Order: sequence, then C-alpha cells, then structure tokens
Amino acid sequence: MTKYLLKRILHGIFSVVVIVAIVMVMIYSLMDKKLIFAHDSNWTKQLNNNKTVYEYRKWKDFGYLDYVAYGDWISELIKKGELAAEDRTKVAQLGRTPDKDSETVREYVQRFKEYYESQGYTVKRLDAVMQGGTKIAVGGNQTLFAYKDIPLYVRVWNYFTNIIKVDNIHRAEEVQGERGITFTWFDPAYGGKVFSPAVMGNGTYHKYLLYCDSQFPFIHQNLVSISLGKSYSVKQNAEITDTMTRTQGSWVGSEVHYPSGFVEVSGDDLHTATYQAGSLNTSALLAERYTDDYTNVDTVKNGMSRMGYSFTIGIISVILTYLLGVPIAIWMAQKKDKLVDQIGSVYVVFITAMPSLAYIFIVKAIGNATGIPTTFDMNNPTWLMYLLPIISLSLRPIAGMMRWLRRYMVDQQNADYVKFARSTGISEGQIFRKHILKNAAIPIIHGIPGAILFSLVGALITERVYVVPGVGGLMIEAINFYDNGVIVGVTLFYAALSIVSLIIGDILMSVVDPRINFTSKAR
Amino acid sequence: MENNQVDLSEFGLSDEELFAHVDHSAFESEKITAPRYSYWRSVFRVFFKKKINIVMIGILVLLLLLTYVYPLFINYDRFANILDPNAKHLTAAKALDYFGFSIHYILGSGSAGEPIFDAMWTGARISVSLAFLVALINMTVGILAGAVWGFSKKVDVVMTEVFNIVGNVPYELLIAVLVLIFKPGFWTMVFALTITGWLAVAYFIRTQVIIIRDREYNMASRCLGTPIWRIATKNILPFMTSVIVTYAALEIPAYIGMEVFLSYIGMGISEMSLGKMISEAQSAMITPGWEFEFWSPVAISAVISIVLFVFGQNLGDAADPRTHM
Repeated sequence: MTKYLLKRILHGIFSVVVIVAIVMVMIYSLMDKKLIFAHDSNWTKQLNNNKTVYEYRKWKDFGYLDYVAYGDWISELIKKGELAAEDRTKVAQLGRTPDKDSETVREYVQRFKEYYESQGYTVKRLDAVMQGGTKIAVGGNQTLFAYKDIPLYVRVWNYFTNIIKVDNIHRAEEVQGERGITFTWFDPAYGGKVFSPAVMGNGTYHKYLLYCDSQFPFIHQNLVSISLGKSYSVKQNAEITDTMTRTQGSWVGSEVHYPSGFVEVSGDDLHTATYQAGSLNTSALLAERYTDDYTNVDTVKNGMSRMGYSFTIGIISVILTYLLGVPIAIWMAQKKDKLVDQIGSVYVVFITAMPSLAYIFIVKAIGNATGIPTTFDMNNPTWLMYLLPIISLSLRPIAGMMRWLRRYMVDQQNADYVKFARSTGISEGQIFRKHILKNAAIPIIHGIPGAILFSLVGALITERVYVVPGVGGLMIEAINFYDNGVIVGVTLFYAALSIVSLIIGDILMSVVDPRINFTSKAR
Repeated sequence: MENNQVDLSEFGLSDEELFAHVDHSAFESEKITAPRYSYWRSVFRVFFKKKINIVMIGILVLLLLLTYVYPLFINYDRFANILDPNAKHLTAAKALDYFGFSIHYILGSGSAGEPIFDAMWTGARISVSLAFLVALINMTVGILAGAVWGFSKKVDVVMTEVFNIVGNVPYELLIAVLVLIFKPGFWTMVFALTITGWLAVAYFIRTQVIIIRDREYNMASRCLGTPIWRIATKNILPFMTSVIVTYAALEIPAYIGMEVFLSYIGMGISEMSLGKMISEAQSAMITPGWEFEFWSPVAISAVISIVLFVFGQNLGDAADPRTHM
C-alpha cells in the first residue's frame, strides 16, 4: 500500500507540474504581454522612454523576462570593486544619442553590450526624445538596458523552487543589532508581563517566527510560508495565499504595546510584522512606535478571510447534503415508483436540468419575499445571512446524491445477497440499512474527501449573487484583469486539491470496502 | 404420506379435460419460435407507451418551432425603438396598450424598448444552437475516441494521463485565451468548448467500454475469432445506445447552463444569447415592474433545458433493451 501511495503521489506531482507548465505557456506565451497593464494607473501616467522602461521593469518583476539596466550593471561593478565609486557619474552619463557619448562611456557601453549579448540577452538603447530643439521631453531620457526572455523550463523550475519558503536570519538586507533568533516566555506584544512564549528573529523576514494568541489554533508560525505567486493587477504585490487567508472587514482595536514602549489602542497585529528595508526613518509615526525596520504589519479585522467565508458556507452545505440527501435517497429507493419516489424524481430533474443561475435567482427571489437577508454584510454579521447561500449551494449536490444513491440502491435490490438476507427473515428496514446501504454507499464515500476539500475553493455564482466576500471568484477576477501570477497560483491550488482528494477518496474506499485493493495486479 | 396425494376426482374433471395429446406437426416445427424483434421498433413502442412522452414531444416541437422558425418571420431589431423614451421598460399591459395588441409585446418591453418575447426567442436560437452544436461535436469525437481508449491498453495509459492533466487546466482560462487570440463570438465559443470538452465524454465512454469489454459473451466472441471492429459495432455499441442517449440528454442542458454561466461572469459570446440577456437584466430582477425582462429568459432557458432533459432521459430508458420485455 505504501509503495502504491508513493507512486500515486509522485504521479500527482508530475501532473501538477505539467498543468502549471501548460498554463504558463498559455498566459506567458499566447497572451499579449501588454495586457497586464490594462488596469495599471501608473502605466498610463508614464510617458515616452519611461513607459518602455516601466514595462520592462514590471515584466521582470512578474517573471516575464530578465532585465538589467545599464545603471544597475554599473552599481554591480562598483560593488565588485572593478570601478571606483567616484567614477560613477562619469561612466553612467549616457549621451542623448550613441555618437554623443564620451570616450569612457563608449568603452563601458561596449563592455555592457558584449557581456550581455554573450549571455543571450538583447541589448536595447533608446535615444532621448526631444521636444523642440534642445529640451528633452517628459520621460524621454535616453536609456540603455538588456533583456532576455525566460525559457519555460527555467520559469517552471523557479516557480516550484520558490513555493515553500523557510525563513532564515540572512533574509533581511541590513539590520540593527546582531542577526539571530531569540526565545522569550513573555511576548513583548502583550506588554511583556503576560505569559505567552514566542520565538523572534532578527535578520529574518518575519519578526515573529512562533507565537501564541487567542485565535484558533492558538499557536502560530511564520517560519515556513507557502507562496503560490504574486498578484499584479487585482492587488499589487499581494501574495495569493495572503489574499485567500487574510481577514477582511473593518479593523478591531485593542491595546497594543509597540516595541518602543508606546502603548495605543490600535488594530495593528504586531505578530505579522515583516521586514521593510529602511522603513523606520520614513515617517515620524513609525519612528515613534518601532525600534527596527520590522514595521510592515497587518491589522486585526472583524471579518473572516475569503477562504474562511467560502469554507464556512461550503462545509455546512456539504454536511447538509449528506444529512438530507442520504436519508431521502434511501426513502426513495424503499418506496420505488411510489409517490415519494416520483416527487423526488421531479425535484432531481428540475434541479439537474435547470441552469444553476436560474434556480439560485429563484431562491434569492424567495428570500427577498420572505425578508431573509439576500446580501452579505461583514460588519453586522447575522446567522441568517448564511442561510440563502447555503441553500443555493446545497440544492444541486442533494439532487445528485438522491439520483445516484437511489440508482445504486435500486440496482442492489435484486442482488443475490439481498435475496438471501430476505430469506433469513430479517426486516426490510434492516436489509436496507445493513446490507444494501453499505454496498451502495461505496461509490458515494469516494466523493466525500473531494466534497470537503473543494468547499475551500468556494462557489462562483452563489458568492457573486449573494455578494459573499469569498474565494470563489478569484480565478475569474484574475482572468478578467490578466493577473497572471494569480492565475498560475490558483490553478496549482485547484489541481493539487483535485489530485489529493482523488487519492484520499481511493484510500477511504479501500478502507471501507476490503474487497477493493489497489496493490494487487489487475487481472 | 397419503394426505399429500390429491384426489383428482374432487375437481370433477374428466380425463380429457386434464390432458390432451398433441401430435407432432412437421409444419409447426419448421417455424422459429422466438417472436420477431426489431430494436428500433421496440424502442419507439416503449417510448410512446408513456403518455408523458407524447406531451414532451409536443412541447419540444413547439419550442423548437418558436426558437428556429419564429425568428425567421419577425424582423427583430433590438434598437428599433431606442429613440422612443416612452417605449422602455414597459410591463405587458402597458406595452400592449402603447403598441397595440401584438404577440411581440405580450411580455412587455426591455431596456431599449425592444419586445421581450422576440428578444427571448432570438436569444434562445443562439443558445440552443450553441448547445446542440457543442454537444454534437463532443459526443461524436468523444464516442469514437472513447471506444479506442477503452479497447487499447496502450492508449489507455497515455490518455488517462492526458485526461488528468487537461481536466485540471481551468476551462475559463482556455476560453479567455482563445477569445484573445480569435475574436469573441459564436464560433470561437464552439471551438473553446469542444477543444477539451470531448475528453470528458471520451472518458465516460471509455469506462463503459471497459465494463462491457470483458463480459463473458465478448470473450466468447473473441475466442471464436470475431474481429475487434465487429465486436465493437455489433456486441458493444447496441449495449451502449441507451447510455449514450442518456448522456446526450444531460449534455445539451448542461451546455445551455454553461452558456448562461459564462455570460454571467462576463466571458460569454458577443451575440445576444439567453445568458447575455439574463446577465444584462440582472438589476431588473428586483426593480418593480421590470421583472419580466429578467424572468423571461431565465424561465425559457429552464423550460428548454428541462424538456430536453426529460425527453432524452425517457428516450434513453426506452433505448435500453432490458425494458423491451
């Protein structure tokens, strides 16, 4: 079994890599690169050469290509000691056109060209854009840079090697004090008097690596983080995992003890502090509260995360599906062709055949008429606002359960073992519960892990109709905004879920039914 | 023991009535005793035995006439009344009052003053055509590919892998990419929905083929040296007709629903389909007096789907030889 499982898991990983590669080809090669700027207000503000440079810079940030500006290369030379720092201006000062370059500049430009062209880069020089005779137009400064397309295999490799990040003490560029990890029994974020163990780092990306608070599961870690990719247009630079799991709504204040000793009622969650180079001295506000560059904090909010809302609705609807669907299906199978069965069949036909949008709107209209809240309000949460989304989400799975479980049970009714059980004289109820259901439920059990896991991804239409701030629309949102990082990340997430749920489903099935054995060779 | 014996005299019957001697008849023995059986005739006999099916066919013909023939006779122009501010968002009663009684306005008028009844059927024509076409292509390719997939073990290994991978590429993304490469429209959508859609059908057929492939009668056939092609067409295909019809009955409503869904999320076709009508009239749902703009396309898409579904399910039941007794 272990060997078989290992094989399945390796197989799954291979499939996921191929899926991500296909999606990468689709969005990085087949789609127009410029589309990502469609919703970028900074891009529209840029003019002339600056616009081109801005585009290349962003393409580099979002993994389209590798880009090196002439100025960056010179900084690199200075760092290596091949060039004196005071010569910088002399070397970096490009002429408006190549023939206006000074002797030294020409020499260095030539070296830049040779160095990068030998590595497969394309070197591009933009001459100054002039306005009138002598004046340079806005954003029209001359520039020189090199760029190279990233081949697919490098892109896939980089993506997968960056998914799991383990924080270490060399991640921050410059820190005050010594790099290292400290342990304390009394977390300073609570004033240093309350017992609350925490592991803190200096030089790490996150300040708190391990800490405790009152939220489930009470002990939290920042040491290992999963990074599925970064958003570009939907939410600049936000991690997908953060977008999915960060709380929403308006902030909740509590007494916060800042590292400087400053105490204030604020929504800041100091445990989420991350390093931001040189941020301490950017504002007096930060300088008053913090003592180092770990100033980038999240706020505590009153709502759940996107995934939290989706999962709450999803999991209740899954429970409802099994709680209602299974007994109704058994009842229908017992009273085959009687009134109950016929009413049930009409329901199944209606729900399966109708476009889901149609019946969701009907549910919403009924909700409207009866006064149940039809939209989600994070700030005044009531249990009633979950009602309609849950009902809308459960209607079709219940119909599916009724349809299939009834079908399997009816098929089992004429099996030899049922006839034998009947001949021994046990009651019909017992035959149904103890014999038929157990055999008919095996294919149903296979679907349980999938149903639970997929309530994590949310439901698109339901969430949109009831304005639920869930995770269901993430993919469509990303596609509409050409947010490539998110598309890749969400695809990976979905693919991993579907593969994991299949594997768990198979295991569960072989546990429930000892006749099913995956290890033996097929006949 | 004696009690068990039945005394025949109790019944008051003569020996002649109890037994009659039947002579051997040379003429009778030449006849083949099984009744004549024609597959398709039995299918239709079973199908028409249910009264509901005749009703369903009636509704289906009516719907198809309205979807395909009615738009030919009207001169529908969505923006014909756009300049008339009094013609917009009228309820049925007001519209009939304003335009005079005509069939076009029995459901009122829409946001551009267009007759909802006409708009609905013009939209239905596009949605139903899309669903039919996509289902037809997917079913044809899927059945052929699925048969090969089920029969060959080598193909099975490769295709299962392909299915696992392609099935996980989000189809919304595929549609978005194709729409960017080609121009958004009816044929792009047909292409986008069929390029990977046949795989699901093929996988379903493959599973069915594998179930039937190793049954005893097929093994016997193979032992007797029947060629694979003959086994496929004569032994397996008839067995699968009912399954295929049932599946097709699910496919067409599914694609109508899919079109509505895609239009709702803003990825639909550029033509004015039912889905596009629904998504454009969303705000009309809760506006008093405008409800028909929204509920008409919703209702018609539901009715078409349900009728097609029930018709297909019952035809599928009738196509199952086990119901022909």
